[in-house]
Amino acid sequence: MNKRTHKYLPLFPVLAAYIVMFIIGDNVAGMWQLVGMLAFYCALGQAFNIFLGMTGYVDFGYVAFLGVGTYGMALALTRIKNLEAFGLGIIPIGLLLALVMGILLSLAVGAVALRLRGAYFAIATIGVNEGFRYLIEGAKIWNGAEGMIFTAQMNEAFGRDTASAIMTYWSDIFVLVIAALAALVTLVYMRSKIGYALTALREDEDAAKVMGVNVTKYKIIAFITSAGFAAILGAVSWALKTPYVFPPEVFEIHYTVEAIIIVLLGGAGTLLGPVMGGLVYGISKYYLSIILPGFQLLIFAPVIIIIILLFPEGIVGMLKARLKGTSLESFVI
Amino acid sequence: MFLEQLGGNLIQGLVLGAIYGMATMGLSLIFGVLKVVNVGHGAFVMVGAFTTLWVFNALGLNPIFALPCAFGLGMALGLFFYYTTIRRLIKAPELASLLATFAMGVLLEEIVRLGFGSEFRGYNWVAGKIDLGITVLPLPKLYASIGSALIALGLYFWFKRTRAGNAMRSVVEDSEGARVCGVNVGWAYALSFALGIGLTLMSGVLLTMFIPVGINPYMGGPYTLKAFVIAVLGGLSSPYGAFFGGLVFGLIENGSYTLFALIPGVEPFALTRFLSFVMLLVILLIRPTGLLRAK
Amino acid sequence: MRVKDFKGIVCFVAVLAIFAVSDAIAASKVVIGHPACLSGKYAKAGEQAIGGIKACIEWINESYGGVELSGKKVPLEYKYYDCESKKEAVTSLIGRLITVNKVNVVFAPYSSGLTLRGAPVAESRKMLYMDHGGANNKIFQQGFEYIVQTIGPATNYHRGTLDMIHTIDPQAKKVALAYEDSEFARMVMEGAEKHAKELGFSIVFKRTYPKGVTDLTPLLSALKATKPDFTLGGGHFEDGQLFNRQMADLDINVNALSLIAAATLPAFYEALTSMAEGVMGPSHWEYGVKYSEEEAKKNGLRWIGPDQDDFVALFKKALGKDILPDYHAAEAGAQVLAYVLAVEKASSLDSGKVRTALGDLQFMSFYGGWDVDETGLQIGHSMVDVQWQMGKRIIVWPREAQTGDVAYPIPAFAEKAKGKVAVPR
Repeated sequence: MNKRTHKYLPLFPVLAAYIVMFIIGDNVAGMWQLVGMLAFYCALGQAFNIFLGMTGYVDFGYVAFLGVGTYGMALALTRIKNLEAFGLGIIPIGLLLALVMGILLSLAVGAVALRLRGAYFAIATIGVNEGFRYLIEGAKIWNGAEGMIFTAQMNEAFGRDTASAIMTYWSDIFVLVIAALAALVTLVYMRSKIGYALTALREDEDAAKVMGVNVTKYKIIAFITSAGFAAILGAVSWALKTPYVFPPEVFEIHYTVEAIIIVLLGGAGTLLGPVMGGLVYGISKYYLSIILPGFQLLIFAPVIIIIILLFPEGIVGMLKARLKGTSLESFVI
Repeated sequence: MFLEQLGGNLIQGLVLGAIYGMATMGLSLIFGVLKVVNVGHGAFVMVGAFTTLWVFNALGLNPIFALPCAFGLGMALGLFFYYTTIRRLIKAPELASLLATFAMGVLLEEIVRLGFGSEFRGYNWVAGKIDLGITVLPLPKLYASIGSALIALGLYFWFKRTRAGNAMRSVVEDSEGARVCGVNVGWAYALSFALGIGLTLMSGVLLTMFIPVGINPYMGGPYTLKAFVIAVLGGLSSPYGAFFGGLVFGLIENGSYTLFALIPGVEPFALTRFLSFVMLLVILLIRPTGLLRAK
Repeated sequence: MRVKDFKGIVCFVAVLAIFAVSDAIAASKVVIGHPACLSGKYAKAGEQAIGGIKACIEWINESYGGVELSGKKVPLEYKYYDCESKKEAVTSLIGRLITVNKVNVVFAPYSSGLTLRGAPVAESRKMLYMDHGGANNKIFQQGFEYIVQTIGPATNYHRGTLDMIHTIDPQAKKVALAYEDSEFARMVMEGAEKHAKELGFSIVFKRTYPKGVTDLTPLLSALKATKPDFTLGGGHFEDGQLFNRQMADLDINVNALSLIAAATLPAFYEALTSMAEGVMGPSHWEYGVKYSEEEAKKNGLRWIGPDQDDFVALFKKALGKDILPDYHAAEAGAQVLAYVLAVEKASSLDSGKVRTALGDLQFMSFYGGWDVDETGLQIGHSMVDVQWQMGKRIIVWPREAQTGDVAYPIPAFAEKAKGKVAVPR
């Protein structure tokens, strides 16, 4: 096996997982929507991991990027006249708009917050999340707190049946694709100069700076990438799948917390981590809500504390340690 | 007319700000000594609120009596969470402590929900009011405000004058040096955390004196966010800074409402929130030690 | 732990899937599916809804004998899960209910947002989707074909209140509107504003406040300055309590105060005690409404379901708690009744046929009238206005439904603090 393929081996378990999820979802009755939910969590974890995992910084306002991406797609669907002429072409327009808006927001946030470290950074990012949300509500931007409901526009643009298929099937496939793309980008970063720089700064930022690593540049790259993925994830999973946007919902902090849990559970900074984290978190939540409805949070809260205390490196972190020296080592990073 | 509104709002803002400030003191104390951000802050405020409810309804007592109860309960909770969780997270990356404190908050919310139900409760302590012309101030609000100031003052003297207080200050300055001087650093950490939580629970009591309704397990969220802004205003590590930060916050939030209300076509209330977060960002960038010198 | 661990997880999922598929149900019953809000921000409403649904299902099975299909009486069953009031879980739970539990109808989760989230999945499976907790009118302008509403639309909430004040006090002119800035409350405000203008009122104050507000003092101070004759507003539960409390604190006295969502719940008076005297709120249902079989006959409507007291008893039994049902419970329960009537009318469980039957259906129950238009919007149910008088809720409007006269103007807060209660003149 030549060096090239060897570099991309770790991608295989990740892609295999997504493909298996797709197969199960498509073929087992009643599983598709669950797979959709799991795909969302995996994609969220993969995208968040690009920044949190690789730099160690906690962006507590991450959901703002999901939110702004949702608005991007929503605006494309509601503000463009003559929707029928565009048909399915609206989707790439919406995605592009979402991506652009996400990147712009991340540049704005980055310029302000990335000068700060640790807890200050976390608080600053919360500030951006909340500030942005109240700006939208206060200045009544994009319909303010009333939000937008656009199923009708989707029906008009795509035709009823296609719209329905998009809302219940194709959007979830999109999410799997986003998750796979995010994994690919994570791997590319990990194996490149970016990855080395980020590992150095995660271990000890001051030492890295002294060694001449341009920490700011690499932090920004990771931040913008992570934000961009969040934006398209929001555009797909929250606009195409859920044809409405209400500001309090798309800026809710609990999504950021879920992203943190997924990344931590799976193993921050690893490639396979978010997949494992997303699956374990999503499946446990789902079955808990069926078997013990009303008690999920009561059970999850102490479990999270235990994981943080006893297993801070996450599932894949522990896996990596066990596999050191075996032939499977190159598959799991 | 505008000046009347502004004046009235500023007075109310000052009164509320004292309470907000006191509510944030616990957060700043914990961060100052342990460098841990308590993301579950609001949940502890909520527990304080429920304590007041219980004292008022079950024991039939004036909410002032809830203060020592809340403080005692807070110290107990603080010590419990310190020794089970926080102790191991002091040197860990902030991700761990952020998530752990968040989980603590969620745990409290769920326990309270299962114990008390998710109903929205309140109590009615009729104690009279003062009419100031430009605004009306119910006496419980005033008591709460004065109470906050007294507690802040009490904390100041405790830090300056008592051995335990001095020990804690030395730990903040230089934990190694303190250890060398014979200070039991571990115990100082535990006490700080417990004290911080105790303060936070007491602030829940005072808060209900200002807003005695709408008490429910999930009420803490907005207070956590406010506390972050105020803590930053006052300098994240300084409890006194937090108190003054609260006053400033109250003034600006209420005062700016009157100004925003002059702009047509906007929602003034949401904009005051927006403004508070802009303040947060500006201060973090320009003066992270807060508006006052830290101590 | 081996590396095939991830494959292990996949196998685990597959096994669970097989497990899940195999718990498919035999077809000799009618199953209602519901991704309910048992925890999270809508926990209270969710718990009430479950109680109401269980109560009416029991009534159908025990007193009514079951659903009549092809000559047989078939029992109703109820399958519900906890969506934690979050949208992610809604779609996956609905997927499970439809394919694994093979339900015959899906009841939407509480709130307009979550109702909307589940709608596309239900539509794509051509599954009947019944909405008891989503009042946003726009839901019915999106072209959904399988959705039917039992709760009244948001824009109607304050219509009755305005009619009432217009009738009893033609001198009242100035109204202040102060609502929560959320999609639901905004729709109520829109409806109120439009109707107020139609009736000739002048709107002297119109502002909103954000969800999760902790202090309304600045807004209420500004409201006070406009000296309104009466005030309409509110949003959800906690802000309603705050609103009333802070109006008391600031000594803002009006002839009438009507707050949506919060004011009619028992917890409101418990929290506010004397400050709540005279405060009103529109409600979909309140214990004491005069709907009965005779009433239905008078209006030429079919009657079905338990009477009020039976409903309350069944509700308490269903939840195992001694709490009174509020309108969340009643509207969810009425939805069960509507469904049963439609199934019998269509003599079929097919979603399309039942949906058509629901469109033609008109009936009355303990909850009130029921009739939907072609988009599924509820038009047959009227809201009632409820007022706290001497610590009790009295239905004061419309006249056909009232259990007592309205107390107008309401006493001033200072008087209430001294113990004055609200009594009709």
